[in-house]
Amino acid sequence: MRRRVRPGIALVTLVLGGCSIQNYQSIYGNAAAEAQQFNALFIIFLVICAIMYVLVIGFLIAGIVRRSRAEPANVVEDGRHHETNPLLRPGLIGWGALIGTGLVALAIASFFADRSMANAAAHEKLAIDITANQWWWDVTYNSADVSKSLRTANELHLPVGVPVRIRLHSNDVIHSFWVPSLAGKQDLIPGRDNDITIMPTKVGIYRGQCAEFCGTQHAKMALVVNVDSYGDFIKWWRHQLQDAPTPTTPLAMSGYQYVTTHQCSLCHNIAGTPASATVGPDLTHLASRRSIAAGALPMSKGNLYGWVEDPQSIKPGAKMPTIGLEPKELHAVVAYLETLK
Amino acid sequence: MRQITPNNVSKLGLAFTFSTATTHGYEAPPLVVAGTMYLITPFPNYLYALDLTKPGAPTKWTFKPKPLAASQGVACCDTVNRGAVYSKGKIIFNTLDGQTIAVDAKSGQQVWRTRLGNIQKGETITMAPLVANGKVLVGNSGGEMGVRGWIAALDEGSGKVAWKAFNTGPDKDVLIGPRFKPAYGSDRGKDLGVKTWPPNAWKIGGGNVWGWISYDPALNLIYYGTGNPGPWNPDQRPGDNKWTTGVFARDLNTGQAVWFYQSTPHDLFDHDDINENILADIPWGNSRRPVLLRPGRDGFFYVIDRRSGQVLSATPYGYVNAYRGVDLKTGRMVPNPDKDPKQGRVTRNICPAAPGLKDWNPAAFSPITGIVYIPHNNLCMDFGAMEANYIAGTPYVGADVKFYAGPGGNRGVFTAWDPLKRRAIWEIKEDLPLWSPALATAGGVIFYGTMDGWFKAVDARNGHLLWKFKAGSGIIGQPISYRGPDGRQYIAVVAGVGGWSGAVVSLKLDTRDPTAALGFANATKDLPQKTTAGGMLYVFTLPR
Amino acid sequence: MSSRFRANLTIIAAAGLVLSACDREERHSRSKPIGETVPAGQSPDTIYPGSGTPPPLDARAKLYDNNAPAIAEGQRLYMQMNCVGCHFHGGGGMGPPLMDDEWRYGGRIDQIAATIAEGRPNGMPAWRGKLTDDQIWQLAAYVRTLSGQPSKDAVASRSEEMSNTTPQTLTPREPTKTSDTAEQ
Repeated sequence: MRRRVRPGIALVTLVLGGCSIQNYQSIYGNAAAEAQQFNALFIIFLVICAIMYVLVIGFLIAGIVRRSRAEPANVVEDGRHHETNPLLRPGLIGWGALIGTGLVALAIASFFADRSMANAAAHEKLAIDITANQWWWDVTYNSADVSKSLRTANELHLPVGVPVRIRLHSNDVIHSFWVPSLAGKQDLIPGRDNDITIMPTKVGIYRGQCAEFCGTQHAKMALVVNVDSYGDFIKWWRHQLQDAPTPTTPLAMSGYQYVTTHQCSLCHNIAGTPASATVGPDLTHLASRRSIAAGALPMSKGNLYGWVEDPQSIKPGAKMPTIGLEPKELHAVVAYLETLK
Repeated sequence: MRQITPNNVSKLGLAFTFSTATTHGYEAPPLVVAGTMYLITPFPNYLYALDLTKPGAPTKWTFKPKPLAASQGVACCDTVNRGAVYSKGKIIFNTLDGQTIAVDAKSGQQVWRTRLGNIQKGETITMAPLVANGKVLVGNSGGEMGVRGWIAALDEGSGKVAWKAFNTGPDKDVLIGPRFKPAYGSDRGKDLGVKTWPPNAWKIGGGNVWGWISYDPALNLIYYGTGNPGPWNPDQRPGDNKWTTGVFARDLNTGQAVWFYQSTPHDLFDHDDINENILADIPWGNSRRPVLLRPGRDGFFYVIDRRSGQVLSATPYGYVNAYRGVDLKTGRMVPNPDKDPKQGRVTRNICPAAPGLKDWNPAAFSPITGIVYIPHNNLCMDFGAMEANYIAGTPYVGADVKFYAGPGGNRGVFTAWDPLKRRAIWEIKEDLPLWSPALATAGGVIFYGTMDGWFKAVDARNGHLLWKFKAGSGIIGQPISYRGPDGRQYIAVVAGVGGWSGAVVSLKLDTRDPTAALGFANATKDLPQKTTAGGMLYVFTLPR
Repeated sequence: MSSRFRANLTIIAAAGLVLSACDREERHSRSKPIGETVPAGQSPDTIYPGSGTPPPLDARAKLYDNNAPAIAEGQRLYMQMNCVGCHFHGGGGMGPPLMDDEWRYGGRIDQIAATIAEGRPNGMPAWRGKLTDDQIWQLAAYVRTLSGQPSKDAVASRSEEMSNTTPQTLTPREPTKTSDTAEQ
């Protein structure tokens, strides 16, 4: 009796785990159609395989127990080709049929899950390009009207209920795009265009992570995905299209001067200013993001100070150099960056 | 002039020579006005005046504009200058660091000087200005440096800017207003110079005017082509990228655009459209139609009605595999999707290569034969696109390219093209690309120079070689024919190899790197064995 | 334990100790000390009146010269900061070639770093204040590999671009040139 209960408890725990409090970065997050399908498939596999496992273990235990009772006749048939145990032949046939049925059921489930995921890919309504660099994500939203296309970094906003196709590219080594609450992993391979389709079903904030070792700071290459209602998403897009606001306070203006004429402008783009470089993350709306340095630090004034002054102490080896700003310059630069909402 | 004919050209001999004391690529024509010959050199842009009335043509004066030396670091394709112009007693020319200068033709004293370009943004000026009806027309260079292109009209007497039109951006900057009536639907709309670019990309988008401007006095319109969009990597600028790689017609007095035709929307291969617009009236149906004849960089010979911008025909005049052809109904060039460059990959065997089937060097049109004599290239390329980073004052390209000979193995071709029959009448294959313009004389002789220094005369009817002369350096400059003070016909050309194609020699590059000189190092890696740098004027005439 | 085994063990332990002290190169993530600038005026080979000796090699040169991570970073910066746009992959264009042995302003690593930081009159931009000194030295280390000067175990074994030049690991090693071009 105890032996039958154990797998049942495991199953229940697993199911309850899907309703855990933390599901912003969880493969049981079930926040998108792809994740839901994958989890449904997982449950089907788990149940069928669990049943078979229980049966096999049961028969094994039965075999051991019966053997220890030392029955005299332990041959399947006697010398005249008669079965000793009349249950054995139908039992074996039944067992083979059960296995066959189980496998067919798994194949059918897998087939339908795969086909419906592929179907979703054919009906995308929004196209996004993500280019992975060491160690940050370059995100471009495409639009039929190219002047409304949008570039941001380390953050994705997706509208709920709309299938999105994300094309994945890499500028240097192999990375992997993984937002477990929404979908599975897909690699970003230099020289190759991969893609992944996601249709989010639950509004919320989810965390993604690079899932393929890509260098010293692979662990600090995260991504924040905001799933918004359609109206909020359009509002966000319109806001992102605006150029960076002109600074008004003297400190922010002096920061603007520094950022657009010194080291920052060699790598970063701030729309509407002379800084139009492309090899670093787009900073136009930096202050509206939830994190900086690809999820390494939450957005806050202190973290901005620390990151701008010495990125190498937070992410040693990152491509953003430690400049060694003077305190006055640092105050000005951070004051300006905070205006980039 | 008819003094030199196919019968006597073989007797052509040297009259005099002159060393310009510069060794970079010499692309300008000598300019002869009232018994004086004016020569404008590449950087440092010296202006010489030679007295043709005296034996040996001694120098009357030299004007040294002293352009900024740092401008040499932002000139993409050697520090060339494509010529000076004469108007109302003044010689007007541009300097590499972006100034337009007017000098008194008799005394050599400066009359006015206007600064139009800023080298800190990567902007230079290499083109020859055009003077029409009291306006000096000037355009900038810098399509490889993320410079926004413009054309300006200066008042000829004072040098003050009368109007300036950009070639990207909102309609008010491009001077597009109620007069603008393009022939095709894809050019109609509001602020297309912004809408066909990703946000803010038009500010660093190219569209420079570094080539030729033509003027029609009857319609009072100027015609000019715009350069490539920046960067070369097309994935960074989705959209049609108006108003780059196209031809504008503008009103001379106000600069207002009248029509525009885009030869290659969303240009993929650096096929600038700055080539010459030859004005001709051709028979069409049972009347004569005023057209522009354009041997394009993209490999097509265009015949365009110059009143409306409608394309009457577009025919390849050499080997082209990058495009399928022009759809005459929509006017749109149909690209070949196999040759689409993609970021992170190398696309191979794209023909014509980035310098095009023909680059800046103008063809010659003979109204007597009705044939256009085109010196051009036969080059294909490999194009590897990668992300370009914009830093003002540095290149904004995003591509590794290398060029090599196209089908046939010859890198240059001289084609005599009939624009009405739309086919070549005769062709001369040349080993090296032809980077020198052609001269067609009324006597029926065509002159052109090769990059290893041969100055050739061929028969206009059949292309037979009649005479040739080996100059001290390769020839990429424009030959001219003039009547000297003694009434005889002279042919003059300056031999000084360089420019984009000859940079391996004039800039002393290392040919072990095939991508050097924006890909040309691979195509002309044998040039250092065939010629050396120089800057010598040669003037030829028939013996008495 | 047999005495032979003990002897072998001692030898192996000693070898391990000695070899672990060999540190081929140091990978640092920022220059030390922070905020120092590239010194001005590491002039090309010229006349030094009075003493007649050129200045000694800058002390930081050994942190970057023949340092593989520095060269790899320099390679990345060479592409991203548009050095490749003027000098291409060593062949030159708007700027002079970097793969030959003619150096207008000197081919020693500190001379190259000074050229990058200060700019030069005929069009080389000045990067001091735009690139950190760490980045400038990394670029100088990479530029030297284009002409085959550093040791072959530090250079990149393949180029990251479409180019048919021989890989730097296979080119013959050239001696360092200070400056030898007759034409400036």
